[in-house]
Amino acid sequence: MLEIRNLSAGYSEIAVLHDLSVGVEAGQFVSIVGPNGAGKSTLFKTISGTVKPMGGEILFEGENLMKLAPAARPHLGIAHVPEGRQVFSSLTVLENLEMGAITEAGKKNWAQTLEQIYSWLPVLEDRAGQFAGTLSGGEQQMVAIGRGLASSPKLLMLDEPSMGLAPAIADFVFDKLMEIRKDAGLTILLVEQRVAEALQVADKGYVLETGRVVLEGDGETLKADDRVRQAYLGM
Amino acid sequence: MTETQILIESTLQAIAAGILIGAIYGLMCVGLAMIFGIMRVINFAQGDFMMIGMYAAFFALTLLGLPSFLGPVVGPYVAVLLAAPLLYGFGWLIHRTLIRRVTGIETADLEGEGHYAQLILTLGIALILQNGAMILFGAELISIRTPLSSDAIFVGPFLDGLAVFLNKARLVSACISVVIIVALWWVIKSTTLGKSLRAAADNPEAAIYMGIDVDRSHRTAFALGTAITATAGGLLATNYPFHPFVGLEYVIIMYAGVVLGGIGSVIGAFWGGMAIGLVQQLSTIILPTQLQNATIFVFFLLIVILRPQGFFGRNVERT
Repeated sequence: MLEIRNLSAGYSEIAVLHDLSVGVEAGQFVSIVGPNGAGKSTLFKTISGTVKPMGGEILFEGENLMKLAPAARPHLGIAHVPEGRQVFSSLTVLENLEMGAITEAGKKNWAQTLEQIYSWLPVLEDRAGQFAGTLSGGEQQMVAIGRGLASSPKLLMLDEPSMGLAPAIADFVFDKLMEIRKDAGLTILLVEQRVAEALQVADKGYVLETGRVVLEGDGETLKADDRVRQAYLGM
Repeated sequence: MTETQILIESTLQAIAAGILIGAIYGLMCVGLAMIFGIMRVINFAQGDFMMIGMYAAFFALTLLGLPSFLGPVVGPYVAVLLAAPLLYGFGWLIHRTLIRRVTGIETADLEGEGHYAQLILTLGIALILQNGAMILFGAELISIRTPLSSDAIFVGPFLDGLAVFLNKARLVSACISVVIIVALWWVIKSTTLGKSLRAAADNPEAAIYMGIDVDRSHRTAFALGTAITATAGGLLATNYPFHPFVGLEYVIIMYAGVVLGGIGSVIGAFWGGMAIGLVQQLSTIILPTQLQNATIFVFFLLIVILRPQGFFGRNVERT
């Protein structure tokens, strides 16, 4: 579904990603883990087009994303739930969800999707009329996820959904994601610092360090890998 | 009439006049609110966009010969409304060629979000428009007169012979202003276009992730803001003569109105403009006319000290 080949990207003249290749098959849960500054968010931004690539290719269902304007990409079925949530704080929760549903597919399925989002994340229904900026961090993360789901995406990209949340809330968000994935059969690409959880649930994992893929394999194998255990799992 | 009655009558008269002029100021402020309040673009040329709108309405009226087939009453208002799409196009073009280079996603990461560049750029545009208009149209005062400009409706007598008169041209202008604002408020509040404009202004990066063309949204808002202020200018011109430098007098009123109403609130900007109209007219009861603009700023400072977020301002954190 998503095929990234030999991608280099960065800011101004400074490359952050070097010759990076990542693949996501339809229906897969793929996790990308790695320390701060490894280029995980930059990778997502390059896919979405807010960071310009320097070389390589990004194909989504065979289509070259680099030829498309950033704002055209979500309409293909890519939902990007950005790092730090980035909700529209002066819009209500419901309006935030409506913005997700601006894509063609999102508009078509809106009534159905909204009902489904509310059943997964009931807190959004309770808060529907409230300004998103007034919510707690965990609730804002739900808004960001709900907003991504509202576009009826084929691929859901989640950038550190646990960032800045209390461990219990982060666990809750993770469980919700699992539930949503099971119900909707979504393809998910996850970037996460909570390495154990991220690899636990992944069909495939990548370990990113200083902009390069240093390890890849299925989740279980990576989790058992000595280097991963030492560096990230503290074992 | 007793002394008290005269005071009551002149107060009522000032309130009536203040509401009428306030509605037009309100419309003017709403135009700036689209650009400065919502999009956070500092535009010093807003008053001069209004001036261009006034001349556009004037030339639409005279060159198309509207009064000859629409009559002297309806003609001027049609001319004002015809100028609106023209100024929409003008605003669109100014944004496409100049403003986009100093706004939006390009400058989101810069210090001050590109405000320094906006300041200099729009100041430059203002100077070019003012002096360009001076060369093209000359310095003489012109106005868009209608027979209504010197006609009034008398309300009264009530309470032992009190009466208030309402200038008909201003009354019509105020009504048109209110209709436009209600329509605009509905568009911004309830339509997908309006919501996506607000989203693009709130968080441009996230808006892109939703599939909103942020550059186009900003351009739409800018053009809409230009057209609205220009329409207010045209409505004002049915009663006030104008000249190429008229923008300077009003750009300050507009910023005061937007800040009074609460930055980011379109309805707030309308009430801000209304408040300024009322203060301006009421001040003439006790103060000489020359001081009416000074009164506006005393009032402005008071509000800013007592309620810094403005009438309708929200303290919502912008991410």
